Amino acid sequence: MNPSHSSLADQVRGLIRSVGFSDPAATPPADTGPDAWDRLALDLFRIQYASVPAYRVFCDARRRTPDTVAAWQEIPAIPTQTFQELEFSAIDPGQRTRVFHSSGTTAQRPSRHFHHWESLALYEDSLRPWFARHLLAPGPGFPQGLRPRCLALTPPPESVPHSSLVHMLEVVIRDLGDPGSTFTGRVDADGTWELGWEPTWAALESARAAGAPILVLGTAFLFVHLLDAMELRGLSLRLPEGSRVMETGGYKGRSRSLPRGELHAAIARRLGSPRIVSEYGMSELSSQAYDSEGRFRFPPWVRIRTIQPETGRDVPEGEPGILRIHDLANVWSVAALETGDLGRLHGNAFELLGRAAEAEPRGCSRMTH
Amino acid sequence: MNLHQLFLADLGPELQLTAETLRQASFAVRRNRNEWLLRQRTRAIIEMIAHTAEQWLEPANGFRALALREGPKETGWSAATLARGLDGFFRSITVESLEALVAQDLGDTRRLDDFGAGPAEHRTGRTSLAVGPELLVHLTAGNLPNPALFSMILGLITRSAQIVKCPRDASLFPRLFAHSLAATESKLGACLELVCWSHGERQAREWEDLLFAEAGCVTATGGDAMLEEVRPRIPGRTRFVGYGHRLSFGLIAKESLSPYSRKRLVRAMADDITAWNQLGCLSPHAFYVEEDVPGSAETLGEELAAELERREASEPRGIIGVAESALIQSRRSTFELRAAAVASMTERNLNRSLFFEPPAAVKLWASPESTAWTVVLNQDARFQPSCLHRFIELKPIRQWDEVLRFAEPFRHQVSTVAVAAPDDRLPEMARQMARWGVSRICPIGRMQEPPAAWRHDGRPALGDLVTWTDLET
Repeated sequence: MNPSHSSLADQVRGLIRSVGFSDPAATPPADTGPDAWDRLALDLFRIQYASVPAYRVFCDARRRTPDTVAAWQEIPAIPTQTFQELEFSAIDPGQRTRVFHSSGTTAQRPSRHFHHWESLALYEDSLRPWFARHLLAPGPGFPQGLRPRCLALTPPPESVPHSSLVHMLEVVIRDLGDPGSTFTGRVDADGTWELGWEPTWAALESARAAGAPILVLGTAFLFVHLLDAMELRGLSLRLPEGSRVMETGGYKGRSRSLPRGELHAAIARRLGSPRIVSEYGMSELSSQAYDSEGRFRFPPWVRIRTIQPETGRDVPEGEPGILRIHDLANVWSVAALETGDLGRLHGNAFELLGRAAEAEPRGCSRMTH
Repeated sequence: MNLHQLFLADLGPELQLTAETLRQASFAVRRNRNEWLLRQRTRAIIEMIAHTAEQWLEPANGFRALALREGPKETGWSAATLARGLDGFFRSITVESLEALVAQDLGDTRRLDDFGAGPAEHRTGRTSLAVGPELLVHLTAGNLPNPALFSMILGLITRSAQIVKCPRDASLFPRLFAHSLAATESKLGACLELVCWSHGERQAREWEDLLFAEAGCVTATGGDAMLEEVRPRIPGRTRFVGYGHRLSFGLIAKESLSPYSRKRLVRAMADDITAWNQLGCLSPHAFYVEEDVPGSAETLGEELAAELERREASEPRGIIGVAESALIQSRRSTFELRAAAVASMTERNLNRSLFFEPPAAVKLWASPESTAWTVVLNQDARFQPSCLHRFIELKPIRQWDEVLRFAEPFRHQVSTVAVAAPDDRLPEMARQMARWGVSRICPIGRMQEPPAAWRHDGRPALGDLVTWTDLET
């Protein structure tokens, strides 16, 4: 009998459990090795081909079907931008309880990634251990097992129910954080996220007064707004030892944009050198990558490749290509995705070079001056 | 042959440019202009320019050879694409075409030489003389060479000393052209200076402001953001001529789709798509096809794809960056998926739609194993800028004038519309397009080859550079 979505989700959980919460030395159990990953990827392809009609159409057009695909690398990858116009979901419309939209302005059609309770539960199982590994690891001022107070600069979940990022932060706060954690952002009339200056500053002040480490979480552009607001008022503040910052996402024209290095330097200047971790995620995925020293890493249930767009073949390690992400936690949609991002592989980590698809072409687009 | 060091830009990145060097350069070109160029007759200057252009068309010409040898490395164009683009440009530079330009913009070929009068001036008892700025500064863009070369030609005709600022990665062609002018007449070269820096460089602003303060007129070509940034920095007494980024497209009337006309039409479309690999403001982003026989646009697409495949053999597109190529692949995948999904919806009669919104039908032809060329037949007629590098959409419409509605969001950016239409329909179409805002209408196949006298973005390119001195008697 063919495995069901649920039983494949259980197998993915097996891979996730092998990572553990924060013990990098833990050895994975025997059935979670590379062969198990490959088998699971092929099983998932079989079931997704059968249960996601739009994916089947794509695979048929590429003449890659479960009968002809023998290795996970041959599984067709869906370009993420096509989530904007086609339904890539095995979940019956009546059972959907949640949909995550890609960020962007309201005028554009967003990507749509549908969930129900079971897929959402897997999404949450996937996000916790890798977040904990990168943001809750013990260190100076940050004891093992601490549930830190979190300050999310984003709007709260009830104002932005379609944001996968905010859902992720909600889960982090609920399952890993201190009950006094807060969301301080707002949504303005046209859907833009805004910094809630007063509650944010109050939370930062109170963290400093309490002397306990705090996690400050937000998008790059919200951090730019925070830093601008602090500069305007001539304020800076030293966060307690052990505090951490998680910054994610591009700017999409919503604030002055800063190169990542400059943003991190400015955060260090205004907030007293907390540890800064960058996150890479998108609504079409169920797992996230985190960086250390400029290289992002996905958890082991995700594999990445870089593709030469001219030929569709893998580029050698260290050379730029399109990022292709195979996320086994995407059980009820499509696991193999091709992003519009350019990157370079270094072992199982990658360096993000920028977005290819957002650099919208215009007349005389190559003009330099 | 190699270029000797004649201009500051020849010294490359090791040159330690200073404000003092720039000031001296500005002084030198102005002195040379005042002592020599200003005393030349228009006819003599035009003959020197036309002679230089003619030299560029000789296969054995050293500058041409150098351009075709070094050009592909600097620009990514294949030597064949470069050769065709440069030939088209230099063929348009003749004594006749330049005299026509002067006569058109200034009323008579001698208006820069002596006081003279047109009929209206005669009636009011006046004569007048057109005078070019003493120093003309150009900020050039790097997308393709012709505009920078033509700016230099205009400046020579107005007898101006010129400083041409090139982007660091796009100085080769302006330098080669300046050297070739100097080879024709060294004193011409002495009235020109070329410098190189990139907009983001630390001292770029200081150097530019210095040039703006010395110039009588500044021309700038580039993106809208760059022009917005530059414009307020120009001193009040200095004239500014900005050329922002523009888009162009083609329009094919139903009469032109007959099997007899189609063959020539397809070749002309391919000429426009392959010229400079679509990277210029005058290159087509899409062709609108007036379709009254269902399927005629599809036939056109099929034939165009076959033609582009043949061109790839004779005039390859060349290598492009990974980001550009990724964007082409990404667009192709979207269209491919849309096409497959639409086809399967009708075939399998799926009870549940795969789409959030009903999509427009699409057909895709693409070069195999590369992104060298792509033709998309897209029933969605809303104008969308192409990702270029030989990526073209055909958009069927019922009535030609629908195109004005579909392109409305880009109305103020449209430069050229290339039209294939019968003679009796063209005048009315042209009138409507002119009032809508199109500044140039030309036959398909000639989009990237405007005549020397064309009005750049709807303005007299030479006329905008001069001031007039009226003599009342």
